[in-house]
Amino acid sequence: MKPFDSARRDFLKCSALSASSALLLGIAWSGEIVAAKDASPSFQPNAWLKIDSQGEVTLYIAESEMGQGTHTALAMLIAEELEVDWQHVRVEHAPLDPVYGFQGTGGSRSVRKSWKPLREAGAVARQMLLTAGSEQMKVPIKSCRALQSRVIHTPSSNSVSYAELVVRAAELPTAKDVPLKKPEEYRLIGTDLTRLDLADKLNGKVRFAIDTQLPGMFYATIAQCPVFGGTLKHFNGAEIKQRPGIIDCFEIEEGVVVVGNNTWQAFQARKALQIEWDEGTTAQLSSDNILRRLKAESSEKSHLLLQRGEPIVQLESALKPITTEYRLPFQAHMTPEPMNCTVQVASGKYIIWAPTQSPTSAMSHAVKALKSRIPQASEKELEARIEIKTPLLGGGFGRRIMQDYVTQAVKIAHRLKRTVQLVWPREEDVQHDYYHPLIEHHLRGRLDSTGNPLVWHHQITGLESSKYGADSLPYDIPHVRVEMLKLESPVPTGPWRSVSNHYNAYAIEHFFDELALAGGQNPLELRLKLLTEPRLKVVLQTAAEAVSWHQQDQQRILGCAVHSSFGSHVAEVVELIRLDEHNLRLGKVTCVVDCGIAINPDTIKAQLEGSVIYALSAALKPPIRLKNGRIEQHNFHDYPILRFRETPPIEIIIINSQLDPGGIGEPGVPPLAPALANALLAAHGKPVSDFPMRLNGAA
Amino acid sequence: MALTLNINGSSTKVEADGDTPLLWVLRDQLGLTGTKYSCGIGVCGSCLVLLDGTPTKACQITAAACVGQPITTIEGLAQQTDHPLLKTWLALQVPQCGYCQSGQIIMAYALLSKNSKPSADEIDAAMSQVLCRCGSYPRIRQAIHQAAGLINAKDTIA
Repeated sequence: MKPFDSARRDFLKCSALSASSALLLGIAWSGEIVAAKDASPSFQPNAWLKIDSQGEVTLYIAESEMGQGTHTALAMLIAEELEVDWQHVRVEHAPLDPVYGFQGTGGSRSVRKSWKPLREAGAVARQMLLTAGSEQMKVPIKSCRALQSRVIHTPSSNSVSYAELVVRAAELPTAKDVPLKKPEEYRLIGTDLTRLDLADKLNGKVRFAIDTQLPGMFYATIAQCPVFGGTLKHFNGAEIKQRPGIIDCFEIEEGVVVVGNNTWQAFQARKALQIEWDEGTTAQLSSDNILRRLKAESSEKSHLLLQRGEPIVQLESALKPITTEYRLPFQAHMTPEPMNCTVQVASGKYIIWAPTQSPTSAMSHAVKALKSRIPQASEKELEARIEIKTPLLGGGFGRRIMQDYVTQAVKIAHRLKRTVQLVWPREEDVQHDYYHPLIEHHLRGRLDSTGNPLVWHHQITGLESSKYGADSLPYDIPHVRVEMLKLESPVPTGPWRSVSNHYNAYAIEHFFDELALAGGQNPLELRLKLLTEPRLKVVLQTAAEAVSWHQQDQQRILGCAVHSSFGSHVAEVVELIRLDEHNLRLGKVTCVVDCGIAINPDTIKAQLEGSVIYALSAALKPPIRLKNGRIEQHNFHDYPILRFRETPPIEIIIINSQLDPGGIGEPGVPPLAPALANALLAAHGKPVSDFPMRLNGAA
Repeated sequence: MALTLNINGSSTKVEADGDTPLLWVLRDQLGLTGTKYSCGIGVCGSCLVLLDGTPTKACQITAAACVGQPITTIEGLAQQTDHPLLKTWLALQVPQCGYCQSGQIIMAYALLSKNSKPSADEIDAAMSQVLCRCGSYPRIRQAIHQAAGLINAKDTIA
């Protein structure tokens, strides 16, 4: 993935432009999107904001809004420094333009990468408005301040609105070296402002990509080979084309496409498809044998992620090392809005409505798809013919980093030479995801004579696995070795909310409790003793106090886990209530986060509540399973997610901090599964080696 | 076949095959895209509408079967802008991605219309029929409790 930090470099490049040329540039980047509908004057000192002569403030946010609140959080950063009236702020998704750098929303990075540049963008504009205002009032700029979209002359209390200053401000050179506000001066940052995208989510007006409707639009759907890597041999296309309402049925590289007059007719025709596939070699693989088979065939070697002391020597000399194995299965994303993409074709141009986490990547995939059909055209020429529009996303969770639906829709639209919307049925989504990879952990440990962990050996084997979350053990243990064997996966895998932190934190945090119990130690106390990151200690201590950790008995059993990811530090405690000898139920989940300065605390709480629930679904519900090269599950009935009545009470505590912000969309996921497994270990005395975990029945 | 549907208080004529689910008539033909497709098998609840006041999965009923019964979609329901549910839903910032929220609001509205003092079990039974992948459940619970409080306070004053 390209560096996300390029946005900052590009911002500096942009802010060095004069205001007038930036204004021109503004119209050039975006055509009708950014240019005012009428030709009324506006002030647009950089790519992130525009103030019109009515005082309306438009902020251009280049991150995809998939429910995580990023449009609002980033708007707050600009508005804080711009000193605008929040009631007159609106957000538009920024057009795809190099000025914003690589446009991709992932890795819980939005706030972290925008923290400085977006405040600077607002501050520069504020300074220019202050200059314009002081000149207009003929008073020294030092006696003026900006507040609520006005420049105020403090001694006289005279003021002039931003709306009245847009013409004058637009003529000024871009302000330089503008100081940012001090935290004690913040008016917006740190408050629970209502999210800007919410109102239309309550009345049906919000338009997700799947809600795009254009004149004369056809409706397409697709059937891809259920066995990964299989190829098409034959299908009953002629018969399908005879069905009422069906316009076309044809093959593209990814599968068989059906095009109809509406979605229902297309879906029904897809069901009537009779397709013969050449299933290929993946058909021999299943969840139960895939790692063993791939390992036997692979010449890959383990990568060493971490080594200190003499772990192997120390283990070999141990009388009885503590060993364990954990297996984490495939998981799907299940974005509520299924994969879809709409392409408008007109005079050789392609306008694409893509529910994507990365418009930049959507563009490169669209170019590649067109290039496969028009090989004589240069990529640059094709790019000029494509526009990417990014509506609000009906969930993302990492799935929409991938652009397969864009590639397919472009190929279909190119063939039809018509505006077309591609929608995958849910079944296609479940069987053609980029899954959380299947992972096996082997761990060995040894205690010293006082019951403290002395040796830690962690071997990770997985499909397309990643080191993040495993390459820095947060505990002070003398002898450590962490290694990883990555096997090339014939099953598509990809980023699943919190990525490898989910499966790596599970192994670290659950094995820690195994060692603690083997040494007769309280897992919480031992963590507090051995944690090397002070911020993790604070969140854990806070969680322990919140749950009254020491008030445990046979009826109330607690498990805790910690993990640092995406720049934030999280502790979670899961409470289990014993119903009888064999049955437990979930009590409360407590989650404490140190994510640095909290931009919008209510959004942070919402993200952590959601993360806990997302992780609980993976921990408690049946996983995705591969059988004979295909995914066995189809829809929400056989790959269920947590329902309302199954959701425990969740308490979120945010540590007060003035440090730079950390990520928030994902860090709440990794500690949940090990905290739950640790509570089960405490209840039954046995580690949890496999997902899903069971609260009922004999352990 | 030609059908006359009563949607959000208006009589609407559509042409649809007899087996076409109401969901696709609403979305593809009438542009009422607030009703969402997510599972298509009646499991997730994103496509809920009110059929003569009863929450009904629009992917599981044909448009033809709805003739003669008033249909309320989220667009129709939301015209009651001062309804306590919509107020508490916004005040508590319930939605995240928002995709399932039409279904959530339709279900909660039907629940409170029938029973303005639902028990925890009754709320569980109703709301467990609508899935939310973002995990807005804790806030939905709070929003229903608060809306019920507002409705009952109003009733007491009246």
